This record gives sequence, C-alpha cells and structure tokens, in this order.
Amino acid sequence: MANYATSQFKNGLKLMLDGNPCSIVNNEIVKPGKGQAFNRVKFKDLITGKSLIKTFKSGESLEGADVMELDMQYLYNDGSAWNFMDPETFEQYAIDDDAMDDARGYLVEQDMCTVILWNDNPISITPPNHVILEVVDTDPGLKGDTAGTGGKPATMNTGVVVQVPLFISIGEQVKVDTRTNEYAGRS
Amino acid sequence: MIHALMNMREDLKKYSDFLQKIRHFFSQQNVIEVQTPALLNAPTTDVYIDSISLSVNQDIYPKTQYLHTSPELEMKKLLTQGSGDIYQICQVYRDNEFGERNFNEFTMLEYYRLGFDIHQLIDDVSSLLVDLGIKDEVVKLSYAQVFAQFSDIDILNANFDDLRTIAQAHGLSTEFDWIEDLQIMLFVHLIEPKLKQLPVCFIYDYPSTQAALAKVKGQVAHRFELYLSGVEVANGYDELQSSESYQRVFKVENDRRRHLGKSVLELDLDFLKQLENSLPQCSGVAIGINRLISQIS
Repeated sequence: MANYATSQFKNGLKLMLDGNPCSIVNNEIVKPGKGQAFNRVKFKDLITGKSLIKTFKSGESLEGADVMELDMQYLYNDGSAWNFMDPETFEQYAIDDDAMDDARGYLVEQDMCTVILWNDNPISITPPNHVILEVVDTDPGLKGDTAGTGGKPATMNTGVVVQVPLFISIGEQVKVDTRTNEYAGRS
Repeated sequence: MIHALMNMREDLKKYSDFLQKIRHFFSQQNVIEVQTPALLNAPTTDVYIDSISLSVNQDIYPKTQYLHTSPELEMKKLLTQGSGDIYQICQVYRDNEFGERNFNEFTMLEYYRLGFDIHQLIDDVSSLLVDLGIKDEVVKLSYAQVFAQFSDIDILNANFDDLRTIAQAHGLSTEFDWIEDLQIMLFVHLIEPKLKQLPVCFIYDYPSTQAALAKVKGQVAHRFELYLSGVEVANGYDELQSSESYQRVFKVENDRRRHLGKSVLELDLDFLKQLENSLPQCSGVAIGINRLISQIS
C-alpha cells in the first residue's frame, strides 16, 4: 500500500495506525506562531469503532490501509459463519461471529448491508437503517407495561429485544431502526 | 441578489466598525498609528516562517524583494529612533501557509508599549478585548501551569529524553532535532484541545528554549500567547533590546534553517545597525485580526 504524507490527509482517507485500519474523521492543521506546523487528526478505528486523536509533524507519512466499503447481500447463517454475497461479482464472503458486533440482531436474509473489507477480509457490517423483524415473544397487551412507559419489551426473530407499543403481539412484523434499536412502526 | 448585496454592506460595516474601535482604543492612550514598508530587502530568518519573494525592476535594475511576514523589525526601527508607543494594522504575507486558519495573506495588529512588562501588556490586551465586546472571564496561566493542570508533565524541568518517552507513550513521533519542537507538539496534542473550554486564556512564561525575540530570565522567556476558545490569536514579548542579542537569535535561526536544508538568509543589516542605539525597554504583541474577529461574531 502507498504511503500518505500529512499534506495528502483528508477526511475519509484510510490509514494504518498501530496495526489497525483507521479512517480520518477530521484533519486540523495547527501552526503555532513560533514553531513548526502539525496536523492534529481525529481517526475512527475501523475494527474497534473507537475514535482516537493523534498529532503529526507536517511531512510525516503513514501507510495507507487496503480498505474497501462494499454493498453486499446477506444470504444465511450456517451456524459457524454469516454468509454474504457481492451482487456484482457474486463472490461470497463468510464472516466470523466476532466481526458481527451488534449487526447480528438486525440481519434479515436478502437485505443489503454495508461491509468493510480490510485486506479482503470483512471487518465490519452495517445493516440497513431500517429492517423488518418478526416479534417472537412479548407479554400480551397492557400486562407488559411494567415500567408505565406505554411500551413493552419484545424479542424479535433475530434475538434482539426492542421496546414496542402495547398493541403489538407475537407473530407481528415490525419496522426497527437499527441505529437506535427503536420501534419505527408496523410493517 | 439585493439581499446578498445588503449582507455584503452589513459585513463590511461590521468590519469597519471593528477597526474603528481598535483605533479609538489606541488614540485614547496616545498610542499612534504608523505605516511601515511591506516590501523589504531582507526576508525573515524565523525558522518556520517563510517570506514570499518577488523580483522587481526587471527592466532597469533587477533585484529580489520580500513581502513582510510581520511589521516587527520595521516598527522596531521606529522605536529605536524615538517613536514612542506605536501600533499598526496591516496585511502580512507568508509562504507555505495552508489550512483552515492559516493563509498566505492575513491582517495583523501589532503594537508596542514602552516601559510595559508582559503582565501590563496582557492587562492592556484584555481591555482591548473588552472594548471589542469580549467580556468573558480572563484566565492567566503560566506555560508550566497549563502543563501541570492538563497533563502531568513538568515541562520546565523535563529534558529531551523525558519528553521523548512521553511522546512515545502517546504514540507520537519522537524524531525531533530540538527540544522546543517536541514541547510544542505536546502542547498541540495535549494542551491546546483543553483550551477550547476557556473563552479568554493568556499563557505566559514560555520555556527559555522557545524564547524567540523575548527576554529570558532563568528558566523562562517573558513571552505570552492569547488563546480564544482554543484558537491562538496573539503572541507578545518583553522585547530584546541590544543589537548583539538580535544578532545571536538571527544566527541561531539561520543555523537551523541550514540544518533543515532551507535557504540561509541574509540578515537585515540595516536593522542591526539601527539597533546600535538599543531598543528602549518595551513589550510588543502581534494579534491576528481575522482570527480575533471570527471569535467575536
């Protein structure tokens, strides 16, 4: 992979930092009244999802990260891995359970997800913003309103638990916002 | 379209009022406005500031001139000749400036007060800020204090190796030729982001390694910088006075430029000659007008 000097830094550039691929979130050039120029850079670690800030002397360079973002279709889970397909090349990728994070609760077969590949290995999966899930368990009607919130917990077919309105019952399909884990309407 | 024109007029009026307030502030204190040449025979020797050069008189007597990067030396020439308290508002020009807040051309307010030490000048800059509408609490911290408060680094006593170890622990570069560059990087990385929470903060008494053209007493140089919500806006010194002290600084700066493979520059001999009379004791400050106004509106 090519090296990138600080003068080439821009938002979205993917670089290797401490062995992990990271994406530049913000690049601030700081030139003190007396003294040399520095780049204070905010990164997102693409593996851990954490953000971190580093400061570089102007002219320092970092190795680029071979990172690609692809839209892929979720196919099925075979018990040991989650299988995706690139609809353009029909190439299939098996993704280990530990790369899944919170995404596993929102994967519906046939849905398109964003998959980040690093050195051709999937490192992160982002499900669509909204998915349709089926309620497999929830207390019937008002009885579930133990917190007095006007809502009740419901377990979905994917295992994720979402707060739903009291009128929702087992077997119904509901729309869930995957970014906030919130109920977003009946399907 | 008409709306846009109105906004333009309003913006210009706002800027013009702002300059008027600055001029009013100085005229009340008998500080007089001066203009000095922007086109100079000698470039700045500052290691990390580059002059923009241009060729003039191509058809008759070609020579290279340099746009001033600050009116400092020209104003000091006036001070040695008995100008008394003076200020200037002018455009200055710097090469190799790039970024959100760094430009090749910007507006500088530079002023000198005879008999002031840096603390008197800090008080004076504070009253200017009040006149310009910045009425937040003024925080004054020494360079050593900000490092003690926002990190656990004893910046005045930490040696080059100590600082390298700290930089390494933060995953930062340790390849520096001079300790002050490492001090500055740690300041940029650890301290400056914390200053965002302070609307008006003066930092004073810099390590002697960062003295530039300020007087040194013991471990510290009598310098200050003003940060408005984390943005560096002004840089002030208790100014060096003798010709020898300036020659010494210029020589060190030129040696460093040579070391970095930058052009080695001719000294402003005219300036050094004038200084044979010595500069009167004074403190001076340069204020970035564009950054200042962006912190007000």
